[in-house]
Amino acid sequence: MSRSIRTGVAVAGLVVGVLAYEVQVNNLPEPLTTPARSIASVVAAWTFLVAGLIAWRRRPENRLGVLMVLTCFALLAHQFRYAHNPLVFTLFFLLGELGYALFSHVALAYPSGRVTDPLERGFLGLAYAVAVVFPLAILLVYDADHHLRFFDPTRRDDLIVVWSNADATRILQNVYAVTAYGILAAIFIALIVRKVLYATPRARRVLVPLLIAAVAAALWAILNGILTFTTNPPSITYDLFWWQTAALIALPLSILAGLLRARLARAHVGDLVLQLEQTPPNGIRDELARALDDPTLEVGLWLPERRAYVDGEGRSVTVPEEGPDRAVTRIENDGRPLAVLIHDPMLIEEPKLLEAVAAAARLALVNARLAAEVNAQLEKVKESRSRLVAAADDERRRIERDIHDGAQQRLVALALELKSAQRRLGDGGDPELEQLLASTADQLQVAVEELRELARGIHPAVLTESGLTAALEALASRLPLPVTVDAAVDRLPPDIEATAYFVASEALQNVVKHSGATKAGVSASQADGVLVVQVVDDGVGGARTNGGSGLRGLTDRVEAQGGRVSIESVPGSGTRVVGEIPCGS
Amino acid sequence: MAFGASPCDDSHVPTVLIVDDHRAFRASARKLLELDGFEVVGEAEDGASGAALAKELEPELVLLDVALPDTSGFDVADELRSTRSTVVLVSSRDPADFGPKVAASGAAGFIPKEQLTTAAIRELLGEAA
Repeated sequence: MSRSIRTGVAVAGLVVGVLAYEVQVNNLPEPLTTPARSIASVVAAWTFLVAGLIAWRRRPENRLGVLMVLTCFALLAHQFRYAHNPLVFTLFFLLGELGYALFSHVALAYPSGRVTDPLERGFLGLAYAVAVVFPLAILLVYDADHHLRFFDPTRRDDLIVVWSNADATRILQNVYAVTAYGILAAIFIALIVRKVLYATPRARRVLVPLLIAAVAAALWAILNGILTFTTNPPSITYDLFWWQTAALIALPLSILAGLLRARLARAHVGDLVLQLEQTPPNGIRDELARALDDPTLEVGLWLPERRAYVDGEGRSVTVPEEGPDRAVTRIENDGRPLAVLIHDPMLIEEPKLLEAVAAAARLALVNARLAAEVNAQLEKVKESRSRLVAAADDERRRIERDIHDGAQQRLVALALELKSAQRRLGDGGDPELEQLLASTADQLQVAVEELRELARGIHPAVLTESGLTAALEALASRLPLPVTVDAAVDRLPPDIEATAYFVASEALQNVVKHSGATKAGVSASQADGVLVVQVVDDGVGGARTNGGSGLRGLTDRVEAQGGRVSIESVPGSGTRVVGEIPCGS
Repeated sequence: MAFGASPCDDSHVPTVLIVDDHRAFRASARKLLELDGFEVVGEAEDGASGAALAKELEPELVLLDVALPDTSGFDVADELRSTRSTVVLVSSRDPADFGPKVAASGAAGFIPKEQLTTAAIRELLGEAA
């Protein structure tokens, strides 16, 4: 249906164009027109017709196509004004100025086909009113003997004249020139510049050619208006004609270029499919941004279990309210949310491109969502591993405190009671009882020391009290071989200090038990947000990374905190154990 | 007043304040010290009341636990620097567990709790003097 309408419109446009040419060349003598200029006028109108029909076919829901077709007919109507037939002259003199108002309408409505801005709507209302009211007023006072601007001096009869007056006709023509070609053209330039300035970056790129065409046309109008009040030499008038024609043609051409651009972008969606196959999940956004020509694009992947959108790295993505700055396109897969594209609102005018890109991206987005889910789970696992380490540390500290506050205090009190008993018994008491008490006191001392050792092994109080440096010094001082300590680190979070301490402690225990070393060294240093703890010995070497469960467990612990443990142990050349733990400062 | 040489004088009865949150330890220590001729003039179960009592009673010796419920014995020892009392730190933990804090605290020394005797105190204070 709409296809046949468009065909009919196309044929009508061609016929009317030919008639317009005929009317102009047959009714307007040279140099007011020439065949070349008449053809150019018709071609300019036909450019609107072609661009309008293409836009109408591609986006029937967008009024821009129809507006451009109407502009074509209005511009052709302008030529029929020159007819000497009274009816044709009267009718088309009345309608002949609508072409410029429609031209402004097309420029301001691009690309959505709608004009929503109140200022722009007001301007268009005024432009349409001026385009109809002034010709009507001129016709009502028209003096057939008066020479109309841009007309030859031959007489044309006006069917609706009420009070024929040459002065009124001249004044109205001048006021019209000032209003339409001066004031309205200047406002139009300001509105177009404002439209470009407030546009999003993507929209601006599309609007710039249109801006040039529209401003060129408006400047022509202003200059034309000025020349109304001068004795203008014909050459300038005719130069201005070509300027006007070029500007008129440039507008539909720039709109056509925009359409072509969108078509080319859609054609590249095939490349996008291939490209996405080789793109890692975190690169999908960049590919889609390129395909949509929107560097501001954000992609959020829907995670059902979190009921939230996340980016390729698993970070939350906030979906904004739709507005003049951002638009949102939701992509579904099997009827369920898959992803959201947060993009330049200008893209709403290219729904086919958005649909094509979304379809091409669907598989990649499904994969990316899986990757994002895995990343999110990995993040959770990392967090839970860290929490487990912290919880284990808390538990160790609690047990150490319980031993200290409970059993240890009982034993200490018992030891003091025993000393009091020995003191009361004094010298010269029962020797056997004295010996028994002394033996009991010795046993008690051993028990206290063993308990203290146990508590220290669970969690050394020195670490809590004085930090890693003091703890390493205390650790080294208790070992049965000389151990140098080179550590000067500030206080760090308890779990970091504990991890570093236990790495050193385990490594030094291995030195004592297995290495046969004569000396060892322990060091701790902090640089670039990493705490490095290192234990070296001069023992037999040959230690294996996965040798003991103690170091294996500690490696797990270090990795849970985002660090790593490495062992260099060449047979005969000693062993070096290095733990690197991120410490955030 | 420094604890000084006077405790070595048998006729002198040194006064002691015991600051420890464990009642059993305070009782046992009091018994042991009094058997050896010390006079325990007061007991406190936390750092704040310990420091207040020390300033009020001005004992010659304050037997001060390191791990107190409200504060650290090191902080209390630091607070008591300006008083006439001599502070001896005690703990059931090893002194090495406290690193350099013992030396920096202003206390005259440290005795593991289970090794507490008047002889140990006298020996420590003899060295300190």
